[in-house]
Amino acid sequence: METHVELKTNSKMFCRCNVVETDKPNENLCPTCLGLPGSLPVPNKRAIEFITLLALSTKCQITTDGMFHRKNYFYPDLPKNYQISQFDLPVGTEGSLEIVVNGEFSTVEIERVHMEEDTGKSTHIGSGRIDSATSTHLDFNRAGIPLVEVVTKPLIKSSKEAVSYIEELRQLVIDLDISEGKLEKGNLRFDANISVAYENDDELGTKVEIKNMNSLRSLEKAIEYEISRQTKMLNNNETIIQETRHWDEKKEVTSSMRSKEGSADYRYFSDPDIPNMILSEDFIDKIKNNMPVLPSEKRNTFINSGLSIEEANSIGKSPKWMGELYKSVSDITNDSKTTFNWITGELQGQLRKLGETSPPEWMTAEQLAEIISLVKNDKISFTSGKEILAELIEEKINPEEYAISNKLIQENDTEEISKMVKEIIKENSEVLERIANGEEKLIGFLVGQVIKLSNGKVNPSVAKELLLKEIK
Amino acid sequence: MTDKIDIKNVAKLAALNLTTEEENKLEKDLSMIIDHFAALSEMNLPDEKISIHPLGTPLNLADDEAIIFLSHEEALSNAPESSDGQFVVPPSLD
Repeated sequence: METHVELKTNSKMFCRCNVVETDKPNENLCPTCLGLPGSLPVPNKRAIEFITLLALSTKCQITTDGMFHRKNYFYPDLPKNYQISQFDLPVGTEGSLEIVVNGEFSTVEIERVHMEEDTGKSTHIGSGRIDSATSTHLDFNRAGIPLVEVVTKPLIKSSKEAVSYIEELRQLVIDLDISEGKLEKGNLRFDANISVAYENDDELGTKVEIKNMNSLRSLEKAIEYEISRQTKMLNNNETIIQETRHWDEKKEVTSSMRSKEGSADYRYFSDPDIPNMILSEDFIDKIKNNMPVLPSEKRNTFINSGLSIEEANSIGKSPKWMGELYKSVSDITNDSKTTFNWITGELQGQLRKLGETSPPEWMTAEQLAEIISLVKNDKISFTSGKEILAELIEEKINPEEYAISNKLIQENDTEEISKMVKEIIKENSEVLERIANGEEKLIGFLVGQVIKLSNGKVNPSVAKELLLKEIK
Repeated sequence: MTDKIDIKNVAKLAALNLTTEEENKLEKDLSMIIDHFAALSEMNLPDEKISIHPLGTPLNLADDEAIIFLSHEEALSNAPESSDGQFVVPPSLD
């Protein structure tokens, strides 16, 4: 996998032009990012800090004596006719990232983490098909925005593993606070290199690069399509050629784009405008000492609280408030699974229905823990718990007080319930006869009658227990 | 003597249209340059630190502070053609 991560800096990689979202094209430009003669690129300190942070957190070896290279190719969205990138001395090498696939841990080996700059955006103008365009329009706002490329070793074995890897990398850059990490905005863009070989082959097959996958769903689909295409070719004794293929989102197929350039065609050479990038021990230590909590550490905390690997992984990749709320609530309830289910199931579901992305600011861990405890201790039914939660999302309430004033507290006094059970049995002799004849489902009906008699205050499981006792 | 240079491919990568005459001349010149550098590998320099960069100066990094350098109008002022605030070039496809 090759992943480009757009960094969250204020200014561009080699000039001080603004990095902001804007609808207006060509607003944030200067001679450097326009590739005008005489301009001098100067690397962005924060971007170098960010890439070092990413390289360290993926356990890479840091190249302390690195440098920038020019990658030469002609394309209109590349104003200098070369991209400043890194070649043989990237910031990070030989790293790894722990991921979770199907509820189990796995490790993705990382080959390199290097610094480069983004290109501009081209729009092909003309009627109909892209290849009948009459002109190309260029917007260079994006040209020069810092990009980190993370390249894995060719060891990922399935589409699921590739998707889990991207999810983990995305969470990592978000938690490190170095990128927005939004796929839909192109903050994270990935290409997949896929090769298929016979099971007993020692060598990998010819690799084919797939571009234009802009969601995790399309990544998964594209990899699966390509594996099946290449497998069919191998089985038919056809030769797979090294090429770049384009993922067609609508047709869900890949198609040939162009034959792939070899690295030599890019005529890499060291950028004479930029001195060697010496990263001092001090610089690296400072970053190491300010390392935030990593997704893998967060996941381990969740696992230690009693969640399964899968649950811990899923809550770690949910919005930040969810993990924090889970931690505070489960600290009070001491019941990780129930807390997890209430937060990721009921609370998230109710919020989603209302079109909200986070709970109201007045909702506290204590209130939620109280609802969970009321249900757990059979003081209220699960349905009442959901009702109180819905109320709590609407306005600031005290769950227990709400339960009392709305008569949601269940009757657990067996003597009281026994009285009601006897009354219901007396009134329903016909039903009792049918139960005796094998229609055991009707017990549920009788439970319902008891609950009705109590105006919904009876705990159904207690009512059922007493009913069965009486009948037998 | 190095392998023959594929001058046509070099010209294509550099987006240059060369006449046959130019191709012949450049092929000869480039071969000479490469041969010249090849001589380096024949030297016995085991203890020399490899110089990988022409500049020996330390790298200055710039603070991450955005400034406005060119206005939109200035940026487009020398464009041979522009439309809707964008630079216009002949159609090009990836």
